[in-house]
Amino acid sequence: MMVAVFLAMTAALIFGWLGRRDIAIACLAACFVLAVWLFLFEIYSPDYGFRMPWIRT
Amino acid sequence: MARKSLISASAQKTLAQLNYIYLLLMMLVIACILTAAMTLQYRYGELPCPLCLLQRVALFGVAFGIMQNFRQGFSYQNTGFSLMFTILLLVVSIRQTLLDIYPRPGHDYIGSAVFGIHMPVWSILIAATILIAYALKMSVLGGDEYLEKANIGKFPVLRRIADILSVILIALCVVNLVSAFVQCGFGQCHTSGYKLLP
Repeated sequence: MMVAVFLAMTAALIFGWLGRRDIAIACLAACFVLAVWLFLFEIYSPDYGFRMPWIRT
Repeated sequence: MARKSLISASAQKTLAQLNYIYLLLMMLVIACILTAAMTLQYRYGELPCPLCLLQRVALFGVAFGIMQNFRQGFSYQNTGFSLMFTILLLVVSIRQTLLDIYPRPGHDYIGSAVFGIHMPVWSILIAATILIAYALKMSVLGGDEYLEKANIGKFPVLRRIADILSVILIALCVVNLVSAFVQCGFGQCHTSGYKLLP
C-alpha cells in the first residue's frame, strides 16, 4: 500500500511538472486519501497497529 | 481595492520577487530535509517506519503545492494543497511522538537523534515551521493579488532555480518510490529489513 501512496505522489509531481494540472491534482487527491487510509490502518490495526495504552482510560 | 492603487508597479514587482524567493527557500529546505532523511537511510542503514514514510509523502505534498506556483502561476489552490499536506504531516508526527513519549521496553524512538531530537519530534517542528512560514508570508508580503500579474517568467533566474529544485524533488520522490517498493513490496512495511533484498 505504501508503494501505491508513493506512486500516486510521484505521478502527481511528474504530471504537475509536465503541465497536466488536472491529472496531477487527481493523483494528489488519490495520494492524500490513500495516505490517510494507511495512517488510520496503521494506528488501528490489531496486528500492526501502534497502541498508546498510557493514554487510554 | 483601495490597497491595490496604493502599491506602485515597481513595488508590486518587488513584492512578487520576494514572494517567489520565499517559496524557493521553502522548497530548498524541504529538499534538504528529504535528502537528509535518505542519507540517514542509505548511509547509516536506518530504515524508515510506515509513519516515517507517510511523513516523507506529506513533505512531497507540501513541495507539490509550491512547485505548482512556479509551473502554473500563483494560485491559492496551490497554497491549499501545501497546507493540507502540512496538516497531514503534523497529525502523523504528533501521533508518532505520542507513541514513544512514554518509555517502554522495546519501544524506543525510531532512528538516531539529530541534535538531541528524534525524527518524529523534528517532523512536528518542521510542520509547525511550515505553518509559521505561510502565516508570515501572507501577513508580511500581503494579499498576493499582485502575483496574478507577475508571472514567474518575468524572473528568469528564479524560474531556472525553481526548475532545478523541482527536478531534484521529483528525482527524490522516484528514489523513495523504488526504495519503498524494495522495503515493503506490495504489503506492510517493516523496519527489520528490505523485503525484496536477500
